[in-house]
Formats: sequence, C-alpha cells, structure tokens
Amino acid sequence: MNNRLKVLRAERNWSQADLAAALGVSRQTVNALETGRYDPSLPLAFRIARVFGHPIESIFSDTGA
Amino acid sequence: MLSRSQSSTRPLVVKIIGGFALAAVGALMGYGLANALQGNRDAPWADSLALAMAVALLTIAGLSAITLALRPSNIPRGCGVLQIIVFLLAGVLLLAPMYAPAFAAPDIVFGGVVLILAVQTVANVMLWRAADEMLRQVISETGAMAFWALQTALFLYAAAERLGLIDTISGWGLIGIVMAVYLIASIVAAARRGIA
Repeated sequence: MNNRLKVLRAERNWSQADLAAALGVSRQTVNALETGRYDPSLPLAFRIARVFGHPIESIFSDTGA
Repeated sequence: MLSRSQSSTRPLVVKIIGGFALAAVGALMGYGLANALQGNRDAPWADSLALAMAVALLTIAGLSAITLALRPSNIPRGCGVLQIIVFLLAGVLLLAPMYAPAFAAPDIVFGGVVLILAVQTVANVMLWRAADEMLRQVISETGAMAFWALQTALFLYAAAERLGLIDTISGWGLIGIVMAVYLIASIVAAARRGIA
C-alpha cells in the first residue's frame, strides 16, 4: 500500500515525533508507515485522516487495485 | 494544532557523545564476553551459550537506555523503560544460575530466579498493554517465528535422540537455544519494520 504521509507531514513542517504524538504511536511506527514497511490498522488510518483533515482514500492507495 | 518539535535540532555534540557512549557499551560488553569465554574454556557449551545470550541481552538493555536518554520518547508511555527492564531481567535470569551459587545456596538462588521471572513476566505484560499496534505486531511476529523454528528443531532433535543418533541436551542447553532463536527472531521482525 502507498501513502502520502511524508508529503502531508512535510507540508505542515511537522517532525515524525510531532506526528507520532498526535497519533499516539511511536516515532518508529510513523517512520515505518512512511517507508511502506507497515500498513496501519483501520482505526489508525482513521486517526491519520482526522489529523490531516483528509479522507482516507486521498492519503492511502492500494497499488494492487 | 501541532507545533514543530525541537527533536531534530539536538546539538551535534550530544549526538557525538551519544555515538561514543553506544560504541563504548558495545565494546565493553564484547570485551567482557571475550574475556569470560576465554577464562572458561572448559565450561560446558550450554554455559557459554547462556553467557553469550546474557551479555547480548544486557548490551541491548544498555544501548536502549542510552538511546532513550539521548532521544526521550513518552509515546507510547512507558514502553522504552519497560523494554529496558525486560532485557535487563532476561540477562540477569541467565546469569543467576551460573554465578549466584558462589554467593548463596542453590535453593535461595532458585527462589530469586522465580521472583525475577515473576517481575519480568509482569513487565512483559505491561509492555504488551502499553505498546502501540506496530510494536504489538513485531512482538506477535517474533513469537510466531520463534515458535515455528523451535518446534521444527525440537521435532528433529527429539526424533534423532529417540533413534539414538545424538546425545541428550540438558534443559539449561535448551533454554540457551530458545533464547538465541527468540533473539534472532526479534531482530528479524524488528528489521522488517525498520526498527533494528
């Protein structure tokens, strides 16, 4: 799965630690999400969407679809 | 609204000192292990393996403590400290049966081992409850990988032993193997998520 987390975070000038604090996860988890090493659960994906104020489908895309 | 953190603007000198501290812990533990193994050449392989595992676990605990001090993180709350405690106690649990009898009677040592194991188990449960979803997945994958590898190895060993092809391995030897496999599995699971 691809995502635009890194771009959205950079647009807001947030560090990985800032985003991690907003999501309630570790900085390592944010890093793994951004590098495509980890796909979030649905609850975390919804939290990410809320933090950025975007719908989930505009942040995540399924490369296999 | 979020504000930009200062975590990326740590002074260079702190980063350099941190790097030296990490290298020093690694070097000290490596030197200590080499010395201990050199001094106990006649020790059973099970003791040497347990010693190596204990040093590895204590080294990880030390490196984690330095990393946590240099890059404090409260999210998920308490996870960093709990991980250090779990590694530290696991190392102590492997050392105690080999070295503590020099200072206390075996039944006292065993009582201490039971107590430490109970504390470590509680810390492990607390770590699971405090962890975020990715750390829980890493822990789950570690358990699955270690179980699969150990079950396969145990079956092959048991069959070979039943056939009289190999000698019996002591329980102490088996726990050293279990810890080694678990440690390798945890490194693989963490590396897959870019943690290691």
